[in-house]
Amino acid sequence: MSEQSKDVCDPNFTAEPSNSEVYGSPGVPGGPSPPASQAATLAGPESPPLGPTDASLALPPSQAPSAAQPSPTPPAPAQLVQKAHELMWYVLVKDQKRMIIWFPDMVKDVIGSYKKWCRSILRRTSLILARVFGLHLRLTSLHTMEFSLVKALEPEELDRVALSNRMPMTGLLLMILSLIYVKGRGARESAVWNVLRILGLRPWKKHSTFGDVRKLITEEFVQQNYLKYQRVPHVEPPEYEFFWGSRASREITKMQIMEFLARVFKKDPQAWPSRYREALEEARALREADPTAHCPRSSVSED
Amino acid sequence: MWNKDRPVPSYMQGSTRRVGIMTDVHRRFLQLLMTHGVLEEWDVKRLQKHCYKVHDCNATVEKLEDFINNINSVLESLYIEIKKGVTEDDGRPIYALVNLATTSVSKMASDFAENELDLFRKALELIIDSETGFASSTNILNLVDQLKGKKMRKKEAEQVLQKFVQHKWLVEKEGEFTLHCRAILEMEQYIRETHPDAVKVCDLCHGLLIQGQSCETCGIKMHLPCVAKYFQSNSEPRCPHCNDYWPHEIPEVFDPEKEREAGISKSNKKPLRSRQH
Repeated sequence: MSEQSKDVCDPNFTAEPSNSEVYGSPGVPGGPSPPASQAATLAGPESPPLGPTDASLALPPSQAPSAAQPSPTPPAPAQLVQKAHELMWYVLVKDQKRMIIWFPDMVKDVIGSYKKWCRSILRRTSLILARVFGLHLRLTSLHTMEFSLVKALEPEELDRVALSNRMPMTGLLLMILSLIYVKGRGARESAVWNVLRILGLRPWKKHSTFGDVRKLITEEFVQQNYLKYQRVPHVEPPEYEFFWGSRASREITKMQIMEFLARVFKKDPQAWPSRYREALEEARALREADPTAHCPRSSVSED
Repeated sequence: MWNKDRPVPSYMQGSTRRVGIMTDVHRRFLQLLMTHGVLEEWDVKRLQKHCYKVHDCNATVEKLEDFINNINSVLESLYIEIKKGVTEDDGRPIYALVNLATTSVSKMASDFAENELDLFRKALELIIDSETGFASSTNILNLVDQLKGKKMRKKEAEQVLQKFVQHKWLVEKEGEFTLHCRAILEMEQYIRETHPDAVKVCDLCHGLLIQGQSCETCGIKMHLPCVAKYFQSNSEPRCPHCNDYWPHEIPEVFDPEKEREAGISKSNKKPLRSRQH
């Protein structure tokens, strides 16, 4: 893995569509090589996907085109544009499937031999995603080289409330998160199944939409960092409990949980007074942290 | 940041067509459409209304067809589009954001192993070659020995087929498998390119046909919803090609109003596969 890090185009690259140097003129091929940190494992367009061994062929970055090692001809702008489009779709699909967008995967699966121009490709992709989809492609973790697609549109909210008459995965997840939130601490697995039983879901029964529900909540949601599934300490026979995952904490607000509860149980959110207070405080803290005012509206959309 | 209502510049379009205007309404719509994968028309209309409500509460909601065409004019240079299809069995209009440049099962590629993808390809072939558009579980499983990649046992293959059903690539009815409407929508181009001779086409709409009715005399085929529309309130249905009497039961045209009133939820069983061939 450490060898891969040499291949990162630019460790400080935040993929923000903030400047348009690449787009000033479509005739400009991929920009100048990014500074020192790049390994130049260059090959022709037919080269196989890069592997860890390629890093061992690292060359000093400041290669003049006439150096002993032949460098490839810069690709036509149209090819870079095409790569940017491929990368855009790749990122969208990964996000749709709630999979991690990992930079080395991006290079291996899409950018391939155009690695030298990955910076400009990434820039173009980010710009398209921002302009057309209103999404930011952000490097969320330099350490793990993970990107994620973050909504750039305000107000951010759970848009699935717009299609809330059915019970998709999100509904199931929200049910569990709400339970944990209301309890104020981890929810034992038995408690979670009691709630899911109301929806007709059992650990041993396969469901037409969810499939293997137990696998979904103990493995998939955990993998996606929406839930944490941990053994309860000092309990025999072993029992497990659920907590909010880091991703849930990032993406879902307490107020959204209150609104969800209100809708599901047909009660006022203030029926859970202490939780509602907490949600209000969180909402206030979020507003203070980001005072860019947007059109004030209820975050619960039509139903 | 960028000006939210600025038209997408033409050098990004790559063409000299009329430039569509992307506003936050359209952006949110695209985001949500992508999130949901494939949506039925009434869901899409709700989605559209929701996006207007969020960003531009005072504007009139544009007609869905124009709204989508507007967005597609911007997406054209990116080789993606919002594609509209119709479910083959009951004629529901569905929408999905599809990649036009894909010429393989690549969207599935990250979810499935090599041998699983090959199982899908084999099942796909059986479905296309079949008379009814369905391939039996037995016939698919008999091909496990021919799969590329790691050796797969029949038991395992059964589970993989269920995985395809869960991921909405296949649909199962009474032990037989056909393509999910989402798969047809997303993979039509791929299917036509890889099976140019075996692929069937509807005589009316010329779209890819997996399930449908055929004329017993001249052999032309038509989608059930196409049959429904063509022969609507026609007491003596005749084959559009050879004029012979059309021997099959004419299905009803899909009526979204009736659907909503009946409060049919999405998870209801699909209607029985009653159409004869």
